[in-house]
Amino acid sequence: MTQSVIDKQVRHYIYEYFVKTGQAPTLHHCAQAFSCPPAEINEVYERLAHGRALVLQSNGEILMAEPFSAVPTAFAVEIGNHSWWGNCIWDALGILAMLKEDGRVVTACGCCNDAMQVEIRNGQLADVSGCVHFAIPPKEWWKNVVFA
Amino acid sequence: MSRWCDHWNQPRGAIISLQQQWLLAQTWYADRLELEWRRKTEEEIDALWQELGFTSSFWDIHS
Repeated sequence: MTQSVIDKQVRHYIYEYFVKTGQAPTLHHCAQAFSCPPAEINEVYERLAHGRALVLQSNGEILMAEPFSAVPTAFAVEIGNHSWWGNCIWDALGILAMLKEDGRVVTACGCCNDAMQVEIRNGQLADVSGCVHFAIPPKEWWKNVVFA
Repeated sequence: MSRWCDHWNQPRGAIISLQQQWLLAQTWYADRLELEWRRKTEEEIDALWQELGFTSSFWDIHS
């Protein structure tokens, strides 16, 4: 299998795993799925991270496969009995958009911390009131994507 | 908004409506589950910003 083919397949596997489980596959899980050593998957993860298709934790495991977060955040996404974590409101809504499902984002207002829910019903925002603040301009997002 | 900016010592950047954010999320992530997904080019991002009305210098992705 060529490098670009395995990179695509591992990336695709990560997303399918997130969709099904709400969690990131570990390096060990991924290595088992592809019947190859974890070190090889680690190299794939590094290449995907270099291409900004993943963000990794310091131990080499996945932190983000946008829009999914592998760790709990302030943006919980719920569809029926399934739930995921989004990295920000863009990503949380992105999970609903990507899965083409109605659901809701359970979060808090960025400035006052009051409880807030954003619901998608019949493919549309149930309540369009509200705004989103981008503090960091797009050309600087990848200088510190976790903060952005 | 000002309270958040003061707390995090961040400038007031750009503010978009929730509706614009929903449209952005739909376009940005529409193809992410596909095997052949690739990152958007700068030209595609420019076009998307135009479509969504993100025309201020804040959204300029060219350094």
